[in-house]
Amino acid sequence: MNPNTLKNFIVRNVFLCAAAIVITSCGTATFTKTGSDATIESLRNFELAFIDEFAVPGKKFNAAAFNAKVNEGNAKFQQAIADEKFTARRPVLIDLKAQFDADATHLRSKASRGKVTPALAAEMKKDVNKIYDHALGR
Amino acid sequence: MPSDGRKKRKKTSKKKSELDSALDQVTDESVAASMREFQDLLAQAKGDTTELIRQNAEELERRLVLLKNGEIDKEDFDFFVENQKRDLRVFVDSQPAQSQERAEKLTLHILEIAVTKVVPVLIAMI
Repeated sequence: MNPNTLKNFIVRNVFLCAAAIVITSCGTATFTKTGSDATIESLRNFELAFIDEFAVPGKKFNAAAFNAKVNEGNAKFQQAIADEKFTARRPVLIDLKAQFDADATHLRSKASRGKVTPALAAEMKKDVNKIYDHALGR
Repeated sequence: MPSDGRKKRKKTSKKKSELDSALDQVTDESVAASMREFQDLLAQAKGDTTELIRQNAEELERRLVLLKNGEIDKEDFDFFVENQKRDLRVFVDSQPAQSQERAEKLTLHILEIAVTKVVPVLIAMI
């Protein structure tokens, strides 16, 4: 084989391999980010449902049910942080967990004393939606 | 002219917000000066071009009105302010050095004045 032809063949194959790697890695990054967005949306829905369940004016406070839901939330956040492949997202998930902890503490304090108002529930949900929107870069 | 014979009056002056109306009732001059400073800063923030600054000011105003009307209590208000601060610190720190002071003044500083000066006045009105 002509040395020039061989050289061209090698250069072309190296170029094709590099292009394939770049294209595949972009696809993986997009896929990972999409999966991460879905996890964040799932955590948002969990937290909103948590507020809907316990921030109800006049509802008798059920400490066992509350603790069970908080434990379920803690497990979900810890799992999400451990599974996060997109490393830049980990601090964001840690911030979202801090918000969940703060919400749970405040809600426990208010609900256990029967001091939940409709405005408190509405404003808590607004804050949750805002922080999750910011986490998703919206 | 309207068919029922009444003349429609065009509003030319801007309607005062519920919060402004409450704060304008303060008569003690030293307290009133703080309220005016707060109202000026809040108005600046509400008219700012940065969405986060506007959003923060609108949230703060809405929650001060909820507090004044007894729809949330001081514990709730403090909790929401802490949420706002947590969200804003990242924003302020991410601003270029020359914009940081202004961003802080129109966000974290307003929250501080609200907690230390405005809330006691509103609670006294309840």
